[in-house]
Amino acid sequence: MSWSRRLAALLPRTVAEDSGGTEPDARFTFANERTFLAWSRTALALVVAGLAIVQLLPPFPGVPVGRHLLGLPLIALGAVLAVTAYTEWVRNQHALRRGEPMPRSVLPWILSATVTLIAIIAAVVLLISAAR
Amino acid sequence: MTDPPGQGQPGDGPEESDAGLARERTALAWTRTAISFGAVGGAVLKANVVTGLIILAMAPFVWQLGRVSRGREGLPALGPARLFLITVSIIVVALICLAVAIFGKSAPGALR
Repeated sequence: MSWSRRLAALLPRTVAEDSGGTEPDARFTFANERTFLAWSRTALALVVAGLAIVQLLPPFPGVPVGRHLLGLPLIALGAVLAVTAYTEWVRNQHALRRGEPMPRSVLPWILSATVTLIAIIAAVVLLISAAR
Repeated sequence: MTDPPGQGQPGDGPEESDAGLARERTALAWTRTAISFGAVGGAVLKANVVTGLIILAMAPFVWQLGRVSRGREGLPALGPARLFLITVSIIVVALICLAVAIFGKSAPGALR
């Protein structure tokens, strides 16, 4: 499928017009919606954590860009998580309507990989700043 | 013949079998999300008053979207557009925070 068609499939009108399959049990739909909302709150928490690091932490001695190096990727990760949570909600709803197996979520992988990377960067920044 | 518990059902607990409780839990999740928007707005308020107020104003809007999901009287059924709007709102908030983080005046040491 082309990128434009994939993108169009995510628009709310296209999702609403998805008449394939049958309406799933309301509890499944609610559970899918709650999962989306939980990821949205995680995304917001990352955004505010990134902003707090840049705005409120004291500068790291010897690493003038240290706060930005840690905070900006967290804010970007928040935006990425929000978009991915929506695409996963669409995929899950699609699978529920058709009685197909639930697709595997990439969100935990994205979150853990990025947080690990940022933790490593934080450790390096702290070591450099402590050595100064 | 009934399905064995936990197979083809959203959950195992007795409270999971009630769609009304699932609706209530979802309504609470919407409320928590609205509070999160308020918290982000409050945090940004410290860095930039105008943008903080804009994000803070999104909180009642998000809470209202949750009411739409509960199908209250007189409110239109927005369907998937609600979740799309939340996603767009978070992206807008992230872009605002990115701009504040890059160009805004920081208050270093506030967390010291």
